[in-house]
Amino acid sequence: MNKLQEVYRSIVRRDPLSTEKGKAELVFLNVWLHIHPVKVKQENFKVRHTFYLGFISFYLFLILVGTGVALMFYYRPYPAQAYQDMKDLQFVVFLGSFLRNVHRWAAHGMVVCVVLHLCRVFYTGSYKKPRQFNWVVGVILMLLTLGLSFTGYLLPWDQLAFWAITVGTNIGGYAPLVGAKIKEILLGGHNVAEGALIRFYVLHVVVLPSLVVLFTMVHFWRIRKDGGLSRPVWKLEGEAAGQNAPMSQPLVQIGGAAAPPAPLRKGTVAAASKDKTYGLMEVVTGKPLFETIGPEESDDEVFSFPYAFYRETIAFLVTLISVMAVSLIWNAPLEELANPAKTPNPAKAPWYFLGLQELVSHSAFLGGVLAPTLMVGALLAIPYFDKNPSRRLASRKRAIWVFTAFMVVNFVLIVVGTYFRGPGWALTPPWVHVTGHE
Amino acid sequence: MNRRAFFSWSVAGLAAIWAAVGVSLGAAARFLMPSVFYEPPQTFKIGNPGDFSFGAPTLLPDEKIFVFRDQEKGFAVASAVCTHLGCTVQWFSSDDRFHCPCHGSIFGTNGEVAHGPAPRGLEWFEVTQARDGQLNVDKTRIVPASYRLMVKV
Repeated sequence: MNKLQEVYRSIVRRDPLSTEKGKAELVFLNVWLHIHPVKVKQENFKVRHTFYLGFISFYLFLILVGTGVALMFYYRPYPAQAYQDMKDLQFVVFLGSFLRNVHRWAAHGMVVCVVLHLCRVFYTGSYKKPRQFNWVVGVILMLLTLGLSFTGYLLPWDQLAFWAITVGTNIGGYAPLVGAKIKEILLGGHNVAEGALIRFYVLHVVVLPSLVVLFTMVHFWRIRKDGGLSRPVWKLEGEAAGQNAPMSQPLVQIGGAAAPPAPLRKGTVAAASKDKTYGLMEVVTGKPLFETIGPEESDDEVFSFPYAFYRETIAFLVTLISVMAVSLIWNAPLEELANPAKTPNPAKAPWYFLGLQELVSHSAFLGGVLAPTLMVGALLAIPYFDKNPSRRLASRKRAIWVFTAFMVVNFVLIVVGTYFRGPGWALTPPWVHVTGHE
Repeated sequence: MNRRAFFSWSVAGLAAIWAAVGVSLGAAARFLMPSVFYEPPQTFKIGNPGDFSFGAPTLLPDEKIFVFRDQEKGFAVASAVCTHLGCTVQWFSSDDRFHCPCHGSIFGTNGEVAHGPAPRGLEWFEVTQARDGQLNVDKTRIVPASYRLMVKV
């Protein structure tokens, strides 16, 4: 028994969680948890501030990795086999249909949550100094999410897959100068065939997920380096408080094996202070980039354990259960086997690309290359052109209007593409049923 | 070797190593371009002239071509691939035009753009008669829409 205890103590070396030291050590002695600060500000975890959209996006990504790896055991990326494997997953493999549903609906959910997260960060002004670059990382992650969706729905090799890959790679072909080469590299040939499928498969299961992991690490790291989760607008004291202005006096940063000194509440004595040890790694001169360690304790600061972990766990479970519930009710769509000889009419991409499809239905170059490039460029440029330091809605009227108009235009394009386009991409209201077209 | 020469050689050596890395990366990019294509041939036979009816064009779905046969003018072959984003167009006898199901492009009888977003008309391919009497289509040879092959059946 003593041996067992010795083994356990060699793995879990922190003090009991009933002590403050234990709570702190749980975070900073654990490689998986130490992305958290030892202490968090309670108000930053309010649902009405973030709606947990960033967390949910990340959790959906984890669910997607789990189900995706499971699906890989039954999937062969070759045209004839790929579709057959889909049918096997649907009808033969135990839990195959369910896992495929979870994978599909979690992917849709991730697109929704990532876009809503972008909106939340914009409306709360959380991209402002010093978080400009993290906004850029976020936009890159959104593009990777869309890239994963695009490469993912090709893999079943059904009609949707085949014609989406045809249209998508042809859009790439409209890129100036390098268009033809891009198309050939993506397709691994000149036609949509097995070469294209294996390439999109590799992108989907290795390249893009790896990039998401790398950029997510940067995204999370930067949150810590930029002073933790963004402060709710209602907690800002005066305009300057939310801006992370450079400190007026040099700050000695303390790091190392121990936690930063737990600041004292006015009028209280911290009993644990005698036990504290500090590891001073290095003392350097100069000013910090910006305030990363607050000189004073904020009134709502608590240990991450259990406050933050409890809320994150709840968010994860709600996410997981929601996706599972949706997957039990609705099956992921699977169209007929890809038929290069017959384009379905109308041939529609998944809903999140129908805005783009609506644009390319007017002009392939303007709508498929120029407009998306300008849109992404505009998103990336936001934190560098919006110099207004305020995070309050009332003092950012113009920025709010421009961004809202941008999102509404995209939304309307998607709605038009989804509900108002019939056979031959003719403008057809959803309540009119057109017959005579296959 | 003096100190100055040593540093000069060091810089030259480092530059050479980085150049080698650059060339290797370029080669890696070239690696992504296939050198062999296992794709259907661009030149192929489509059958005997008698196999095709007059009037509405015949779609050969696998080859993605339309075969026109006209009593007086003879044979012509048009591409069935929309010049916009590559969907397969359909022939509608109701208005004698090609319609693209993906984004609504419409092409006239001569393949010309009747309605956007297609940037240019459908392509016409050279069609010849092989020695065995079969029609031979060469997708690498683009011909004007007025091109016709007269054959004796």
